[in-house]
Amino acid sequence: MSTYDKPLPELTEDNRPFWDGLRERSTLTMQKCDACGHIRYPIGRICPECLAPGGTWTGLSGRGEVLSRIVFHQVYNKAFADDVPYNVVLVQLDEGPRMFSNVVGVPNEDVRVGMRVRLHCDPVTAEVTIPRFVPEEP
Amino acid sequence: MSSLKAESLKDRAAIVGVGKTPQGKVPGSTQLSLATGAFTAALEDSGLDKSEIDGLLTFPGTTAPEGPLNYLRVAETLGIDPAYTGSMSMGGGTAGALVQMAAMAVANGMATNVACVFGDAAKTGGSRFNRASGWGDSWGIWGMMGAAANSAIAASRHMALYGTTSEQLGEVAVACRRHASLNPDAVMRKPITIEDHQASRWIVEPLHLLDCCLISDGGVCVIVTSAERARARDLKQPPVFISGMGQAYTSRTLERPDWWYVPHQKDALDRAYAMAGVGPSDIDVAQLYDNFTISVLLWLEHAGFCGVGEAGPYVEGGRIQLGGDLPVNTAGGNLSESYMEGWLHIVEGVRQLRGDGGERQVDGAEVCLVTGRGMTLNCSNAMILSKDGLK
Ligand SMILES: [Zn+2]
Repeated sequence: MSTYDKPLPELTEDNRPFWDGLRERSTLTMQKCDACGHIRYPIGRICPECLAPGGTWTGLSGRGEVLSRIVFHQVYNKAFADDVPYNVVLVQLDEGPRMFSNVVGVPNEDVRVGMRVRLHCDPVTAEVTIPRFVPEEP
Repeated sequence: MSSLKAESLKDRAAIVGVGKTPQGKVPGSTQLSLATGAFTAALEDSGLDKSEIDGLLTFPGTTAPEGPLNYLRVAETLGIDPAYTGSMSMGGGTAGALVQMAAMAVANGMATNVACVFGDAAKTGGSRFNRASGWGDSWGIWGMMGAAANSAIAASRHMALYGTTSEQLGEVAVACRRHASLNPDAVMRKPITIEDHQASRWIVEPLHLLDCCLISDGGVCVIVTSAERARARDLKQPPVFISGMGQAYTSRTLERPDWWYVPHQKDALDRAYAMAGVGPSDIDVAQLYDNFTISVLLWLEHAGFCGVGEAGPYVEGGRIQLGGDLPVNTAGGNLSESYMEGWLHIVEGVRQLRGDGGERQVDGAEVCLVTGRGMTLNCSNAMILSKDGLK
């Protein structure tokens, strides 16, 4: 794990609970607005729906559906040179938010729009566990 | 869509000069040399004297070291002390946004002749288009980077929902290349077939190499003046009137479930149609922003040339080629003429309405739709250009 050279998140006070949730509890954790209940992503200090500040970091089920799926053949960052072709998916989480990620453990051809997926935690450094997904039913 | 009442700007401004530098790889060029080269060419085209240019709006592109202070650098280099100036960066949405700002300025007396200027040494100076998007945590964590990624997301979802095929995307590439083959200034002029498109390597699946635009060096300038002045004065070129303008922005990306479909584009188009008092059936020729082929399909749907999800079949059979129902990107577009972030779409719209299209002229073209879009599928605008103004 000492040689991980791909992009990593910059841990800040704003996003630390998201990354701590993955590392410590293997859970996707996002901010739920205390005023309107909207779960927001990307991470932010105010609710984009009602502008209420703060919110409560809330564990999600980690389950969702693939909205879109693409496969990178072009190497845009040489750290990914050994990974191409690799997939990137847009995931619709069951609780409402959407995020980009990768579906791992299956060939790219088997990753399809509409497929159900669940969270798969991938610890890449001592501090950072990247949220990826696997098919919900193997 | 919020109801806006901007009809008073209809036909209040006109484009009286357009200019561009050589395109493609321009050794030794800088953002500044390309921007000022384009200005000089547009000034020459317009027949105006430099002393008459009292507005300057610029797009720094990706290679201006001074970034948002680009307007100062360009103005100093050109020896202009403008009455109205500034720089804006909205990627491919900038060209239309600046020309619309210029139109508002001249229509309201803030300036008389506004030059909108773009230059970018993106090929020679190193492409800056391959960064990852995402505020806060970069999407690069998942390898989601490069300019093609967002459009590939849109294409993949469009294919899954509506059955759109890669061959249908190829129809857009083939049309743009055929038009570029008739444009002596285009960078890529060798005609291609659907088979060539299918055989080209994957960049980001479902986009092949021939679904992608060409990172290029180049500069483009568009000079805007008031309609009154354009009509009152004997200018070197026939003025082309800005009959309709509209803008819209989907600032939310992941927070919006249909972000990938760029739904705001329809708002921008509807605003432009409403100002001009026209609809899709009135459009003779269209210059639709085409950073990737899928973008053209989305514009065709939002602009009402076909229904939601129907653009794939719509473009089959050469419908968007010269001689088809709706000639699109008659100079070759970003895909084959040169990736000037949509600036050349405005230039080609002007050329078509002046009747200067040469071998690629659309007979009797009187109304042209021009669109632009930039950033992470966020910033869109539309203009209806007309030959004589619209009643
Ligand atoms: Zn809220």
